[in-house]
Amino acid sequence: MRVRYRPTFRGTELSLLLYPALLAVVGLITIVVVPRTQLDWSWRDIWVSLAFAGVVVGMSLAFSIRGFRGDQVLLPVTATLAVIGLLMMQRLNPDLSDLGLAQKQLVFLAAGSAILTGIVMLAGPLNLIEWLGRYKYTWLIISLALQAATFVVGTEVYGAKLWIQVGPIQIQPSEIVKVTLVIFMASYLDQKRDLIGSSWQVGPFSLPPIPYLLPMGVMWAGSLLTLVALNDLGSALLFFGIFLAMLYAASGRPVYVAVGLLTFGVACWVAWETFSRIGIRVQNWIDPWADPYGVGYQQIHSEYALASGGILGTGFGRGQPTLIPEVHSDFIFSAIGEELGLLGTLTIIALYFILVMRGYMIALRVRDGFAQLLAFGLSSILAIQTIIIIGGVIRLIPLTGITLPFISYGGSSLLVNFAIVGLLLHISSLPRRI
Amino acid sequence: MPRILRALAALAALALIGWGLFASDRTSDAHWLTILGVAWLLLLVATYMPLPDDMPTFNRTTIRTAMAFSTVFAVIVAQLVRVQAVQRQAIYTKTGIAPDGEPYANPRTVNTGLDTRRGRIFDRTGEVIADTTERDGVFVRSYPNPVTAYVAGFYSPLMYGASGLEATWNDELSGSAGRNAVDRAINELLDRSEDGFDLHLTLDTTLQQQATDLLSGRKGAVVLMDAASGAVLTFASEPHFDPNRLFSTTTDESNDVKAYWEQLSGDPAAPFVLRANLGLYTPGSTFKTITAAAAIDTGTATPDTVYQDNGELTIDGRTLIENNRPDPSRSEWTLEEGLGWSLNVVFAQVGLQLGADRLWDYGTRFGFQTSPPFDLPVAQSQIATSRAFLDSQNALADTAFGQGQILTTPLQMALVAATFATGGTMPTPYLVSRVTDSRNKTIRTNAPAAWRKPVSDSTAKQVAAMMVNAVQNGAVQAAITPGYTVGGKTGTAETGDGSIHSWFIGYIGQPDPRYAIAVVLEEGSDALGTSVNIGQAMLQAAMEQG
Repeated sequence: MRVRYRPTFRGTELSLLLYPALLAVVGLITIVVVPRTQLDWSWRDIWVSLAFAGVVVGMSLAFSIRGFRGDQVLLPVTATLAVIGLLMMQRLNPDLSDLGLAQKQLVFLAAGSAILTGIVMLAGPLNLIEWLGRYKYTWLIISLALQAATFVVGTEVYGAKLWIQVGPIQIQPSEIVKVTLVIFMASYLDQKRDLIGSSWQVGPFSLPPIPYLLPMGVMWAGSLLTLVALNDLGSALLFFGIFLAMLYAASGRPVYVAVGLLTFGVACWVAWETFSRIGIRVQNWIDPWADPYGVGYQQIHSEYALASGGILGTGFGRGQPTLIPEVHSDFIFSAIGEELGLLGTLTIIALYFILVMRGYMIALRVRDGFAQLLAFGLSSILAIQTIIIIGGVIRLIPLTGITLPFISYGGSSLLVNFAIVGLLLHISSLPRRI
Repeated sequence: MPRILRALAALAALALIGWGLFASDRTSDAHWLTILGVAWLLLLVATYMPLPDDMPTFNRTTIRTAMAFSTVFAVIVAQLVRVQAVQRQAIYTKTGIAPDGEPYANPRTVNTGLDTRRGRIFDRTGEVIADTTERDGVFVRSYPNPVTAYVAGFYSPLMYGASGLEATWNDELSGSAGRNAVDRAINELLDRSEDGFDLHLTLDTTLQQQATDLLSGRKGAVVLMDAASGAVLTFASEPHFDPNRLFSTTTDESNDVKAYWEQLSGDPAAPFVLRANLGLYTPGSTFKTITAAAAIDTGTATPDTVYQDNGELTIDGRTLIENNRPDPSRSEWTLEEGLGWSLNVVFAQVGLQLGADRLWDYGTRFGFQTSPPFDLPVAQSQIATSRAFLDSQNALADTAFGQGQILTTPLQMALVAATFATGGTMPTPYLVSRVTDSRNKTIRTNAPAAWRKPVSDSTAKQVAAMMVNAVQNGAVQAAITPGYTVGGKTGTAETGDGSIHSWFIGYIGQPDPRYAIAVVLEEGSDALGTSVNIGQAMLQAAMEQG
C-alpha cells in the first residue's frame, strides 16, 4: 500500500487555515492593545497565537507529507472555533505573566491537536476503525464504569457531579463517555441493523425486536441515571439525544424516536416533580427575572451581555462579559456575543453548522457500515451539544450546563472533541461508496 | 409531504418569526418562545422533503436528521437576531424590582460614568472646586472645599445622576462634547478613555468663603457679580449639601449615599434647593427700584416728582398704613425720597399712576415671567401668577411696592442691581468662563453678553443715583463704605406664614459701578440690618480684592 504514503498538497486546507491564523494574530493584538490604550505590542505578547497558528499549519503540512487525502474543511473550521475560544480565554484573563486561562487552554489545544494528528496518521496502519468496532461491549462497560465512578468519587460542583480528580488533573468523564457510547452504539447497531429495522411478530401484533433493543435499554437507563444520580442534566440530554438519533439512523423508524421522547418526557416530568432543581431550571427558563439575584442571575446577565453586543459587538476587551459568573465555561457564548456581536455569534453558528453537515456528508460517503454510524454519531454529538448549550445560554431551552465544543475552557472537552474531529477526518479518507 | 404544503409551512414559519420578532416587545418571553416553538414545528414540516423510495435507510435517516438539526440552528439564529438586534435596546435597558425589593438593571448602563477621567472644575484663581482622582481603576470625584462644592453640584453616576454644573456641563466634563471626529475615532478604536474637559469658573473662593462666614449657617443666599459682564463671583447659598457624600463607587459607600440622600430629601429646609438660583422670595421693597425705573422711563415721574404721604392711603376701601416715614409730621415726599426711605404709600401711588399694563411690561423687561440664561437652572421670577391679578387696584399698589404675588430669585435681583449700575443693560449671568482640555488648551471661551435692555441709559442712571441717595441719606446708611460709591435698596418681605425675609440689593464702584449684589436672609425680621451688613461687607471685599 505504498500509494497511501504518496505526499499530496492540501491546498484548500492550507489556504482556509489562513483565516484562523490571521484571526489569532489580529485578535490577540487587539486584546493586548486595548487595555494599554495605545498601539504598543511586541511579537512576544502574542506568542500564544503564533504558537497556535504554527501548530495548525504544521498539522496540515504533516497531513500533506503523510499523503492524507481526507476532508480539507474540518480542520480549518475546528481551528477557527478553537482560536475564538483561545482569544476569549486570553481576553477574560489578560494577565500575560501568569499561567492564565489562555496558556492552559493552549496546552490543552496542543494536546488535542496531537491526538487529532495521531488519529489521522496512525488510524490507517493500526486499523483503528476495525479495532473500535470489535470491542463494542468494552466501550459500553467503560462508559458505565466511568459514570459509576463519577457517582462514587466525583466532585460536586454547583450541585452536579461532573468531575473526577486524578492527582492534579480533573477529568470530566461525561466527555469521554459520549464518545465511547457512540462507538458502542455504532458497532452494535451496525451488526443488528437489519434485525432492529425488522419487526417481531407476536401473534397478530407487530412489535419492535425487543431482545435486540435490550442493550439500548441499558443506555437509556444510563442516561436517566446520569440525570438522577449525578444531576448532570446537560450530559443526560446529550446521551439521550445521541441515543435517539442513532437508533433512528440505523432503524429508519421514527416510532423509536417518538417512543424515546415520550418516555424521556415522562421521566423528566417525574424528575421535575421529584427534584426541585429541575423545576427551578424550567421556571428560570421562562422567567429568570422572577429571581434576579438568585437562580436567574447568570441567565439575566447572559442576556444583558448578548444585548450589549448588538450587531457589531463591543470589540475584544471592551465589553464587560465578566459580569456573568463562570463566563469562561458554560457562558462563553454570551461573552462572544457581547464582544463580537451578532456577526460573531452567527459566524460561530455557521461554523458549527458546517462542521456538523460536513460530518454527515462523511457519514453518507463512507462505505463501511460501522464507520457510517460512527461518523453519524460523532457529528450528532457536536450538533446536540452545541444546540443544548447555545440554546440554554440564549434562553431557547432550559439551561443545562455543558461545554461549548472547541470554545469553552477545559481539557477533557477539548481533547475529546479534537479526537472526534480526528476520527471524522480519518473516516473521510476511508474508501467510499459507489 | 406535498410541495405546496411545505412551501406554505415555510412561509407561515417565516411570517410567524417575523411577527414575533417585531411585535414581541409587547408580548412576554413565554409568548415569544411559544411562537418560536410553533415556527420550529412548521420548519420541520417545510424541510420534510420527499426522498426516493429506493434510497438506502441510512442515507434517508441521515438526511432527515441533518434537516432536523438545520431547523434547530435556524431557530437559534432567530433568537439571536431578536436578542442582539431587534429587541436589543429593550433587553439592554431592562430594569425591574426583585421580589425582595432590590432593583436590578444592566450594570453596563450605570458603570459608564466611572470609566472616564471627568474634567475638573476650578475657580477664577485656579483653586480646585471639583477634582478627579483614580482609585482601583475607577475615577473618583471629590470636592475639596465645602464652600464651593455645592456650586459644582453632585455627581452620583451609580445612583442619583447629577445636579448643578455637573449636570448642565456634563457633555464637556465627560469629554463627549467638542472633540473632532478623527480624535474620536482613534480613541474609540483604542478604547482610550477620553479625559473630560476642565471648567474654569468666575467664582472666587475667597469671596465665597467670606459670604459663607457672613451667612454663618442662616438660611439665605448671596449673589455677587461683575455688574458689566454678569460674571458671578459669589454664589453662596444656605443650607446646602456635601456632594462628596453623594458619590459612591462601592456598595458599602452606596449605602451611606442612600442614607445621606434620604436625609437630605426629608429635610424640611430643602438643602437641595440652592436659594441663590432656585429660591423664590417676595422681593419686598427692593422691587421699588423697578417701579421707579418704570415711572421714569415712561415719563410718568422724575426723581423730583412730589407725592403725598401722610401716613396712610385708602384704596378701594382698604387703608394702607405707612410706617417708614422718618419725619411723621411731613406729608410731601419726592420719588427719590420715597425710594430712599422706602415709602409704601408713595410707591402705591406710582403704581396706580403707571397702571397694570405698564407695570407688567416693565416687570417682564427686567426678566420677570422668564428665566435668565445661566449655567445652572434658575427658578422663574414672576410679577404675579397672571396678568389679571394686577387688575385689582389694591393688587397693583401692593405689587408696585414689592408685595402682592411677586416672587423672584436672589440671582434675578442681583441682575436688577447690575442693570441700574451699568446704564440699563442687564447682562447674561455666567459661572463658566472657559473650557480647557487636560493639556490646558482652551476649547471654548464664554464671552460676556448682554441679556436685555430693560430701560434707557438715562433712566438707569437716575435710579442708580436714587439708590446712592438711599445709602447716603436714606434708610440704607448701613451700606455706606468710605472711599467707594455704594447704591442700595433694602426690602422686607412678609411671607404667607408670617415670617419675614430680609433683602439687600446694591452695587459698588469707585465711582463707576463695578459689582452688583443681592442678599437674602430667610426669617430675618430682626436682622434687616444684617442683610445690609452682609451686602456692604461683600461689596467692599470685592472692591478691595480687585
